[in-house]
Amino acid sequence: MYGHSHYNQRSPEELLKLFSLDETDLESIRKLQAPLEERLDELVDNWYQWLKNLPEHEEFFTDPKLLEHVQKMQIKFWKIFFKAEVNDDFINMRKRMGETHARIGLPMDSFFAGVDHWLSLFIDMMGELKLKPEEYSQTRRAINKFLHMDMTIIVLSYEQLINETIAAQSKSLMEMSTPVTQIWNGILLLPVVGIIDSKRAQDIMNATLAKISETQARSFILDISGVAVVDTAVANHLIKITKATRLMGCESTISGVSPAIAQTIVELGIDVGTIKTTSNMKDALASAFNKMGLEINEIHE
Amino acid sequence: MLEAEKMARNIGFDPANTIRIKTTVSELGRNILKYAEKGFVSLSHLVDGKKEGIGIEVIDKGPGIENIELAISDSYSTGGTLGLGLPGVKRMMDKFEIESIPGSGTRVYVVKWK
Repeated sequence: MYGHSHYNQRSPEELLKLFSLDETDLESIRKLQAPLEERLDELVDNWYQWLKNLPEHEEFFTDPKLLEHVQKMQIKFWKIFFKAEVNDDFINMRKRMGETHARIGLPMDSFFAGVDHWLSLFIDMMGELKLKPEEYSQTRRAINKFLHMDMTIIVLSYEQLINETIAAQSKSLMEMSTPVTQIWNGILLLPVVGIIDSKRAQDIMNATLAKISETQARSFILDISGVAVVDTAVANHLIKITKATRLMGCESTISGVSPAIAQTIVELGIDVGTIKTTSNMKDALASAFNKMGLEINEIHE
Repeated sequence: MLEAEKMARNIGFDPANTIRIKTTVSELGRNILKYAEKGFVSLSHLVDGKKEGIGIEVIDKGPGIENIELAISDSYSTGGTLGLGLPGVKRMMDKFEIESIPGSGTRVYVVKWK
């Protein structure tokens, strides 16, 4: 349910095949290596002129040292790119780039626009090279495919890192989501918010039973007013939880049953049997106090 | 499920019916996760003259249901659960269609009118 990820598992050969990049394409890219290296400093300058007009420039390059470092990395990268050697090293290098983008929160639109600006700089450069028309269009197509393949690796690793972050967050959220609390001697309370699936139901069960054994509680209030839906599976889990607490000598009350939830439970045909339920937490609490022989009174001075 | 709630609210269902619709989506969705692993739920806004409603179609490519009569009767379950899901959904909705081919999948289509 959480943070599903399908990582870019393709091998270099599969990636090339996916983008129909053949040896002719790669060879035509390699032919640009020498002219590119001559012009690279100029192209980088040109690209940063373009970038200066974007708000991202302010955001990411406040530190001149960082800017210099990134420019150096970029020069290094384009030199490798025009070697057009797609192997594991190349793919891993690009994956790391994607992860860096994700970590610094570089927006996809600026990334795509940036790559597109590089592409137009390369196209301008090809124009200066006086290639034959068929060679020109072949090379142009090859660069296109190769750049798109490169972007794909970056985007997939970006997605992967973000999915991992979401999965980790969901996990820690779930771990924090069963705060069974002793609200009075012998009385436990757990307000459940969100969706109950079998994993969460099991967590609730474990946390509750552990707390009962620790505190010798006699009453347990499970408040479901924040639960999105009570379907048969959720009801089944609730029934099991109340049965298990009863075996430990602790009576459960399900509180927070709204009119709509009450109706659906009846229509689903769920037999709530001996489970104690109340429409609000206040009633459940009052009955738990009552059971302990306690009552709450206003203080009259 | 959240999509279903949004659509139900937009169509103007009252809270009780909105919960019925959410519960139905949850119930049918869980069946996919439990028995078929893969499948999809699609929601549609229905308009028939002055009537408005919601259509929920759930299709999976799971093992299918051997005996539909049994599956939609109360307290029958092959999965160790309460066995009230499908009959419950049938009671909550205005229209209930189910077809299943053992070995290739199941389609459930339900409608709730406002």
